[in-house]
Amino acid sequence: MNPIITCTDLTHHYGKRLIYENLNFSVPEGRILGLLGKNGTGKTTTINILNGYLKPSSGECTIFGENIRQINPITKQRIALLIEGHVQYSFMNIEQIERFYASFYPKWKKEAYYELMDLLKVAPRQRIANMSCGQRSQVALGLIMAQNADLLILDDFSLGLDPGYRRLFIEYLREYAKSERKTVFLTSHIIQDMEKLIDDCIILDYGKILIQKSVSELMDTFKKFTFKISDTRISLPADEKFYNPAVYRGNGELFSFQNMEYVKQYLCKHSIEHSQLKSEKLNLEDIFIGLTGKY
Amino acid sequence: MIKAILYKEWIKTRYLFLLAAVILAAFTAYCQLRIGKVVSLRGAAHLWEILLSRDNTFYEPMRYVPLFSGVLLALFQLVPEMQQNRLKLCLHLPLPQNKIIGIMLGFGVSLLLALFVVTYLIIFLYLNPILAPELICRVMLTMLPWYVAGIAGYAFVAFAVLEPTWRRRLLNVLAGAAFIQIFYLSSYAEAYNQVIVWLLIITLALVGLSFLSVSRFKDGVQ
Repeated sequence: MNPIITCTDLTHHYGKRLIYENLNFSVPEGRILGLLGKNGTGKTTTINILNGYLKPSSGECTIFGENIRQINPITKQRIALLIEGHVQYSFMNIEQIERFYASFYPKWKKEAYYELMDLLKVAPRQRIANMSCGQRSQVALGLIMAQNADLLILDDFSLGLDPGYRRLFIEYLREYAKSERKTVFLTSHIIQDMEKLIDDCIILDYGKILIQKSVSELMDTFKKFTFKISDTRISLPADEKFYNPAVYRGNGELFSFQNMEYVKQYLCKHSIEHSQLKSEKLNLEDIFIGLTGKY
Repeated sequence: MIKAILYKEWIKTRYLFLLAAVILAAFTAYCQLRIGKVVSLRGAAHLWEILLSRDNTFYEPMRYVPLFSGVLLALFQLVPEMQQNRLKLCLHLPLPQNKIIGIMLGFGVSLLLALFVVTYLIIFLYLNPILAPELICRVMLTMLPWYVAGIAGYAFVAFAVLEPTWRRRLLNVLAGAAFIQIFYLSSYAEAYNQVIVWLLIITLALVGLSFLSVSRFKDGVQ
């Protein structure tokens, strides 16, 4: 599959603070890729760089093969953008904003927008500024769907949404992206939603990419191992194949892509007396915590 | 696409446009009432005498009204763009960045010019039957710097509002205040006749400073 987005050796600093260094990733055509990470790991920075709102310290990004700093307006027509917090022209009403955007995009689908607006139960002349956060998110989503772009870039789409609107947004977006073969690159704080939405994920840690995999592969191979330890003063030695090993009140836990045999050998090698060694599959949120830690 | 951008700018500024039109109309009417009072009490000859011998043009209460209009227009037009970084939406539109900003600023300046030209026209039509052309010219040339100051106010507020950092914003405001002060240094009639064309050219060129602010916004300067 052709990569729609490619970032090569991307490095960015805010002043002296390094956000990340030599980041390399690509987003294949027709996939929904989620960029996950704790606060401050550079998710919105990446989105800003991709949209040309931020000049990276070094490195290069391309979208549809064009350098994002000199992107052609015709190519821009193929990219839909959702800004963090579903920001839109709140001084317009839902009719005015549709009329405004329609003239910029040749593949504009007015029906897609009004189909979603019909669910909102707001007056056509109601200003966006007077809508709830959930309603505003639907306006933003409706505009993205009407634009009928080939690539959708969504920055923290779940921000401020209650569970109902989050679910509505995800279901609409997933169904739309899959049926129309759209490529989606998104970020979100709420990982539990992403499981139902994304095909692939990149997990960012401070300064680097921790992992880039398909969600199904990640959920099949990444496990949590738990065991009981009689000596409560013991701490688990570091091992490059384990993520966040910890002991709390005699309960040991660690996360890994390795199998049970590897864990047994590790415990044996370090003479850690244990019992009730178990492995369990995790949901995406637990995988995220397992990889990045709780703190 | 250009029409769509103009439509957006109109939605933001239409109420302010009406308000500015009402304020300009009210001040113009007030000044013209003062002239009317002199003419009815002492005759048109006395009015001529005042205009020739003193620096009073009877339109002094309007001195700061164009500036006030320019500043308010820039605030109403551009603050919504900077709230929640909404300018990103604008810059994401499939048009060259400078063209989008050029259309927005062009709209603002045109709106101001439209207001000012109409006011000028009203003043001309009112004065035409009671004053000689030279005296009408004297009144209008005396008022011209105030109107150019209105455009300068718009240019510098746009420059400051579109700037992404508060420190630079403050510097831009100070630079604007220093430049605009030039238009109010002298209260003598026709004091700016020798330089007003140059001041107008410089002021129109200064509208372009906003491109610098947008470029800094685009580079993600914080």
